Amino acid sequence: MTFAERMLKIDRRIIFLVIGVCTLLPLLYPVGLPIKISPEVRGVYDHIESLPEGSVFLLSLDFDPASKPELHPQSISLLRHAFRKNLRVIAMTLWVSGTGMADQIITQVAREMGKESGKDYVFLGWSPGGTVVIINMGQDLYGAFPADYNGKSTKGLPVLHGIANLRDVNYAVSLGAGRPGVEEWYVFGKDKYKFELGGGCTGVMAPGLYPLLRSGQINGLIGGLRGAAEYETLMDQKGRAIAGMDAQSATHLAIIVLVIMCNLFYFSSRNTPRQQGHSGA
Amino acid sequence: MPVETIIGGWVATGLTLFIFSFLYKDNPLFKLAENLYVGVSVGYTIIKTYDTVIKQLIWRPIVENGEWSLLIPVAIGALMLTRYVPKAAWISRYAFAFIVGVGSGLAIPRTISSFILKQIEDTVRPLMTLVPGEGVTFTWSLLNPASSLNIIIILVGVSSVLFYFFFSVEHTGPGKVVARTGILFLMIAFGAAFGYTVMARMSLLIGRLTDLIEFSDPSYGRPSLWLLGLTILTLVVMARRSSNKQPKEEE
Repeated sequence: MTFAERMLKIDRRIIFLVIGVCTLLPLLYPVGLPIKISPEVRGVYDHIESLPEGSVFLLSLDFDPASKPELHPQSISLLRHAFRKNLRVIAMTLWVSGTGMADQIITQVAREMGKESGKDYVFLGWSPGGTVVIINMGQDLYGAFPADYNGKSTKGLPVLHGIANLRDVNYAVSLGAGRPGVEEWYVFGKDKYKFELGGGCTGVMAPGLYPLLRSGQINGLIGGLRGAAEYETLMDQKGRAIAGMDAQSATHLAIIVLVIMCNLFYFSSRNTPRQQGHSGA
Repeated sequence: MPVETIIGGWVATGLTLFIFSFLYKDNPLFKLAENLYVGVSVGYTIIKTYDTVIKQLIWRPIVENGEWSLLIPVAIGALMLTRYVPKAAWISRYAFAFIVGVGSGLAIPRTISSFILKQIEDTVRPLMTLVPGEGVTFTWSLLNPASSLNIIIILVGVSSVLFYFFFSVEHTGPGKVVARTGILFLMIAFGAAFGYTVMARMSLLIGRLTDLIEFSDPSYGRPSLWLLGLTILTLVVMARRSSNKQPKEEE
């Protein structure tokens, strides 16, 4: 067996170990590689920046703990930005399994920024129906969510003063890890009720959402941990996403090296029998 | 630090390490964590659904506010439960018919508008743009999503990929070139999607490792280190047991 053949049959656990070490080391000893801001992330940031104080910002946290590493930093940054701009924040989720985590996120950031529930923000929680909830909110917000997450009636909440339905929302961002998510917010929300929409998603979903970005159906897209790191950079607040970027780069480099090496070993092992065949003849 | 935070740290660390132990090989620790994950998520979903749907959206409005009209959707929903009674199962078809009808009516026009018409509109943008004061312009910047060069690339990509999936004509001569171009565009799209998927999976690993580093802090009682030792010890004991079993079976 040649060296190339032996390498191609290497125990896969060694590769797991290499990837693990490449991820762990930069987390323990960060280098601080520069982060370039992409136009799609800047699109979301600039739009929130352009909103006047008291504008209505709707954040739909459409994910569950399985996507926490990517979408948790995005939601923290967006909420910090909205609270810093003194926007009226309406938070909600279309994913039942993410309700508790969404409440934890908004409570944590609101406390940190000194914001009051019911006055500066409201967490509506979860309502069944997925896309139907969006349509329902477009017709009557109070019909879709008669009470907030804490059971308080939504009618009469100071933060919702003057808001009847989705047409009164100035900017909405859906942080989606699947369906319902960004696409549903466009199809059943923006396209029908005409409010501005931005998106945030996991890395897996990002390529599928780029057509919506290009056509102007969404005005910005925060894609994966990388997008979250860019938003943290724009906010000038170092968080978990920036901390993970060195590890991300190191791991990608390791994977690229492994792919190149595997291809080299594969082609050299394929050529060996031919050469042997030629010399035998 | 509150006791519940410390306990949470130990549980999170333990379950993370138990799940990671599958990378070595399948073992009871992994199965424990896997079953716990499924059980907890299903239990959480059932409780949240009961609390939101039954208590807040049905019981309270009907009993406290007298919104009796809610009994109509409740009755339609209840029809679905007849699936569990074989003789009355046919009644559930009315509920399904209602859901499928409403769902299709809502989704089809909106989906056609959003994903077909809007995307076609974006694909057939004019190549030349008329800028006031500058006349007709043709932009070459690949970095600008609305540049004329990008429009040409998208047009070629969409047309060639559509032709590749057009099987009524044999892909020979010029048709072969177009179909091959389509394959090239598809490969680039798959590559980009795979690259993003790798990035996403690595982000999940980074998230778990970040937590493990955080939980190795003395304020939590260093659960990462203790439980890592325990997991490794369990795997070693298991490996020894299985190696002892094998010679006996051979005898």
